[in-house]
Amino acid sequence: MDISLLNVIKLLLALLAIIVLLVLNSVVMVWLERKAAGFVQRRPGPYVVGPHGLLQTVADSVKLLAKQIVLPGSSDRLLFLSAPVLAMFPMFLIFLVIPYGPWLTGLEVNLGLLLILAFTGLETLAVIAGGWASNNKYSLIGAARCVSQSVAYEIPLILALLALAFMCGSLDLTVITEAQSGWVWRWNIFRQPLAFFIFVITCFGETNRAPFDLPEGESELTGGYHTEYSGMGFALFFMAEYTSMMLVSFLAAVLFFGGSNGPFINGFWWTFLKMGLFMTFMIWVRWTFPRVRFDQLLNINWKWLLPLGLLNLWVTAVVLKLF
Amino acid sequence: MNGLVTVLSAGASRTPPFIEELGRMMLPAPGQEILAYLAFAFYAGLIAAGGLAAVLARNLVRAMLGLVVTFLGVAGMYLLMASPFMAFMQLLIYIGAISVLIFFAIMLVRNTSSGEEMNLPGLCQAGGALVSAAAAAALCGPVIALNAGRLNQPGPPGETPLAELGEGLLSYYVAPLELISIVLLVAMAGGVLLAWDQRYRGRQ
Repeated sequence: MDISLLNVIKLLLALLAIIVLLVLNSVVMVWLERKAAGFVQRRPGPYVVGPHGLLQTVADSVKLLAKQIVLPGSSDRLLFLSAPVLAMFPMFLIFLVIPYGPWLTGLEVNLGLLLILAFTGLETLAVIAGGWASNNKYSLIGAARCVSQSVAYEIPLILALLALAFMCGSLDLTVITEAQSGWVWRWNIFRQPLAFFIFVITCFGETNRAPFDLPEGESELTGGYHTEYSGMGFALFFMAEYTSMMLVSFLAAVLFFGGSNGPFINGFWWTFLKMGLFMTFMIWVRWTFPRVRFDQLLNINWKWLLPLGLLNLWVTAVVLKLF
Repeated sequence: MNGLVTVLSAGASRTPPFIEELGRMMLPAPGQEILAYLAFAFYAGLIAAGGLAAVLARNLVRAMLGLVVTFLGVAGMYLLMASPFMAFMQLLIYIGAISVLIFFAIMLVRNTSSGEEMNLPGLCQAGGALVSAAAAAALCGPVIALNAGRLNQPGPPGETPLAELGEGLLSYYVAPLELISIVLLVAMAGGVLLAWDQRYRGRQ
């Protein structure tokens, strides 16, 4: 144990930077998402507030901050109010362990990948607690869908990441990044293409993003698990969605695209660039594909991704043993 | 280009003297010990409060959330005992999977939020409390009695390397590991049996 003043200051600064990053990310990504949606659907998107509608999300945030939080009559008050906080809270810890650059990590732990997987489970818990506490049938159906979806999609995700951990011999994100240094073809996307394929699909499932946004399902469930939420409760759930999007994008950048290793001049800017590109890809996918049906969603997972993940793990183990 | 890279990396590796000074300002040992006791008290409080909530809540979902709080406290205890791997596995498996599945089971069985699931007569409650206390004592008692001599070891416990843990699970502790998987197999067979029965009745 080394609790030096330097470590404490570093930790506090990192937390502060992460809070700023998460808020900025939500503001920018909501604007980008609406602009991209407009582009795909041949309409301008937000354009009234600020140049190109840039200040639209700022105005929306102020509106959400000032709005009343309406409590449904027969809801479970304590759970209803604590669920959005629970959705957002673990994120601060998770973002501490991501290696943004060679010397830019909030908290270096040798089990970083495991920590991230462990704490993302709390978000599912927040969604089901919120959906159940609302005492609304749409919320409850949304929560039930969220449970079966995230439990199912976690298995291929872990199998894919396990193959990576096998190959690098570590769960430390810094070690995994260093193993990909050198030139572009040492990135894990070229060495584990099948794992990357599984990872991308499970990302959409785990973040509840379209085409797998069944827990929200506006067309059949009005708002899904956050139907009854208003004001900051809704805003926190919304922020949690964009934050988990950023989390999986950072994971994709660090695990599969070499993290801070670029074609030239390594540094944290590469991690952020790759993260941004992956998030743009997720937005593009959302406005391109229609929502799948629930049985299709689970069939893809149990009948295709799970066997593929096992196969990938098995092949990785055999190759590692032989060579 | 190479010159720029050298300058950048040199800037990153050279630490100014005042930062080195800050790195040397350690919290003294008694302070660290007090922090450890505070953390222990906090996690013990979480475990006790979660357990009480799980037992006393009149509503199944609230009881489940009490269980989740207990799991969190236990994970914190693992962290204090210098086994972060166990702590994260506790979170991943017990909170991320098992409590979520319990929640799913509750929702499938009944979905009223008014609660009032707990309406056992007083005698049954007392009997249940007695049985669970006896089970806990039977499990923990021998472990505590066997390790009583090692309780007052000075200094924090050392961290077991992951590789050693894995080797232990696949060599010395392989029989318990396999037995646990048999328990899971039995549970799965039971689930299939229940579902089979219902499907058969539904057809009739």
